[in-house]
Amino acid sequence: MKDGYAAFLLSFCLHRFNGERSLAAVYHLFSGKKSAQTLQDSKWFQLAPFFGVWKDITFSEIEAAAQSLFENGLIVPVQNRAYILTEKGKRWLDEQLQRTFFPTHLNGWRYHDLEKWFWYRLSLLVQTLSNLLHHTSFEPIHRHEKTLMWVKRYLLSQRRTVRTLAETLYGELYRLLDDVSEEEATVFTLRLTSYARIGWTNEQIASYLQKDRVCVQFQFQNVLHYMMASAEADRSSILYELMHGLSLPIPLTLSAQKTYEWLLRGKPLGEIARLRRLKRSTIEDHVVEIAANIPQFSIAPFVHEKKAAKIIETARKLKTRKLKRIRDAIGDDVSYFEIRLVLAKEGEMW
Amino acid sequence: MVTLTQLLQKKFGYSSFRKGQQEIIEDLLRGYDVLAMLPTGGGKSLCYQLPAYLLPGSVLIISPLVSLMEDQVRQLRERGEKRAIAFNSFLETREKWRALEQLDQFRFIYVSPEMLQSERLLIALTNTPISLFVVDEAHCISQWGYDFRPDFLKLGEIRRQLGSPPCLALTATAPPEVMNDIIDILQLSPLRCHIHSVDRPNIAIKVEKLSSLSEKVDRLLDYVKRLQGPGIIYFSSRQWTETMARQLQQEGIERVAYYHAGMDAEQRMLVQQQFLRGQLDIVCCTAAFGMGVNKENIRFVLHFHMPGQMEAYLQEIGRAGRDGEKSIAILLYTNGDDGMIQSLMEAELPDDAQVKQLCENLLYGASRDDVEQYMDMCLFTDVQKRIFTYFLEKEGVFSSNRPLAKQEIDRLYGKVTKNIELRRQWKRKKLKEMEKWIFRRSCRREAIVQAFGQTLTDKPEQCCDCCGLSLDGYLRTNEEKHPTRFLGWRVELQRIFF
Repeated sequence: MKDGYAAFLLSFCLHRFNGERSLAAVYHLFSGKKSAQTLQDSKWFQLAPFFGVWKDITFSEIEAAAQSLFENGLIVPVQNRAYILTEKGKRWLDEQLQRTFFPTHLNGWRYHDLEKWFWYRLSLLVQTLSNLLHHTSFEPIHRHEKTLMWVKRYLLSQRRTVRTLAETLYGELYRLLDDVSEEEATVFTLRLTSYARIGWTNEQIASYLQKDRVCVQFQFQNVLHYMMASAEADRSSILYELMHGLSLPIPLTLSAQKTYEWLLRGKPLGEIARLRRLKRSTIEDHVVEIAANIPQFSIAPFVHEKKAAKIIETARKLKTRKLKRIRDAIGDDVSYFEIRLVLAKEGEMW
Repeated sequence: MVTLTQLLQKKFGYSSFRKGQQEIIEDLLRGYDVLAMLPTGGGKSLCYQLPAYLLPGSVLIISPLVSLMEDQVRQLRERGEKRAIAFNSFLETREKWRALEQLDQFRFIYVSPEMLQSERLLIALTNTPISLFVVDEAHCISQWGYDFRPDFLKLGEIRRQLGSPPCLALTATAPPEVMNDIIDILQLSPLRCHIHSVDRPNIAIKVEKLSSLSEKVDRLLDYVKRLQGPGIIYFSSRQWTETMARQLQQEGIERVAYYHAGMDAEQRMLVQQQFLRGQLDIVCCTAAFGMGVNKENIRFVLHFHMPGQMEAYLQEIGRAGRDGEKSIAILLYTNGDDGMIQSLMEAELPDDAQVKQLCENLLYGASRDDVEQYMDMCLFTDVQKRIFTYFLEKEGVFSSNRPLAKQEIDRLYGKVTKNIELRRQWKRKKLKEMEKWIFRRSCRREAIVQAFGQTLTDKPEQCCDCCGLSLDGYLRTNEEKHPTRFLGWRVELQRIFF
């Protein structure tokens, strides 16, 4: 298929969205839009690993991939630019999932903001060490001032010799690359710049390996996220040190954060709305967002326990996240706000 | 007393000056202001580095190219000169403060024009005896230059604040109108001009007219296959660079990449460095590629689309043959190219709706931040922003401490519109000049040189297509093979670290 890997990823997302979200939702997911809707969607539909992992994607690329899936009879439109997989599409996706590379280590939810800076530091450190060891002069592969400063300070603060540092970092990278597939290890190594070779772009690697560029991009990111996760687990590693000072994102929109602060001070919703000069429905959106993202946040003050249980039961029975269907089934004494809140809190219930 | 030549030998290790250097240095030492137009790679930096050892105070160099600035400081340090510093966004804050406290300790002070906005740096400079005020890439001062930078306009005033030390203005390409701007704004007087020929005798020039786009594409493929690389191919749009790079790859030319300002910083840097290091033979690019790319052995520059003016053309072909070896510049033209370039160029000018909207917004506030915000809202491009900010500044809009009144807005709108129209006319004139050059039947080299107000003294044997030109010397002789030596990630990883 023409749009190979992009189409594969799109079909995976559309399958998870189950016809309940439009193509725009996929776009917002990949580009990492920090809106309440997108943040919730990625939780509800278990697509959090893909949040913000393809920041420069354009909507027309997604449309092109959708068109290609449609032309091949793999998806059909349902409504409002939403699509579901056809039977053929589901079979095809299953096959692909078994045959094609899937980024299992991807954790966009956690790393979408950090990955670039982590990579900048790592790749500049590798370039610098490689050139120091070979006594060659070089032009830094990144012009990003903070990264340059960070690497410079890091090297100056070392008690280890350049040789030891290089050997240790080599050991860490080797171990982690040995864990992933040969192809992923190849992609990652080719991206690195050394004294002898300037790193390749994803596109160059793709053409060398005769692979889809998007696939190479995700293979690279998959390794990168794997390294970051391993780094977080091993506090004595150089890779862990490379994460130093890179802050993990708070998964709330700015506006929701403010509402959260008021809630923590015990203000009721109506008053927060008045204080912030926002509509009550907006504040409700924030509460839903907070419920979806902050595990310790209790929804008990907003929904009666029995009602919550009823909502969960109904959603399970109907196998849907469509608010209207759930409300129709339960009856008028439950509000949309209550349903959304419960669904948000229960996040991954399937 | 040591002679200049002895000093040259002692400090720089050269036994003789290159063409023009000694005369410039002597004029500077006599206290003249000097405007020097030297070809790129012609040893411009020596003209101020050598006098630094004979003058009592520091030499201040203003340069827009941060990477070149860094290179120079590094080279000076390698030569044992510790008293050199570059103030740009790369310098750490702590280091910056420390340097500012003892600025007069430095023999060479490199500064980017943006940094001169800093009050603290300016004060420190005022308290430092400056013996020579150097403006590199001085053509950026002129709004009629192809690379106008409004920051440069303040340099005249800054020079005065520093007690008007002798000034050296350097450029590689400046037609007479731009030179006049340089002299005016920097207030160069008493002035000596050292204008060296813009001609690059080792670059042969060829224009080829083709009857259709598909013919042009075929011709390009043919050239790239036959010409000796490395080479650069210029296109007018990002889309084209990508399309043609891919097509070249499909034709079996492997070491090709594209470059344009729409790529992220990392990709751009990778491509640029790959080309410099010889990992790539061909770069398909927009005009964004080249500034600060100091590659000696570029053998050809192809223009798939014509540039909008002669200065840009000369600058672009001038990237070939810096090593002095013979190189070739080929421009491919099809009917209608000029029309397309014209609409591209005029798209860079704000349209009437944008101007109207912006002016109306000034009713509510006129600070620099406000205006920048409005320009973002009105979707101005970077070039549009630069020109517009300059214009508003000139009209004193930013120094107004209150929102403008309706009448003032109307007057401003009228002026802005007029100014835009002037620019449009100017751009058209420049393009016409370029077009005329393409359709010319006599020596192209002569015409280029004349456009810069000079006359051609010598014609090289391989001059241009009008004078007669043979491609033989520019064709690839041996089939170089560059097998990718990638022996698996394990070997590669080891090679990086051991």
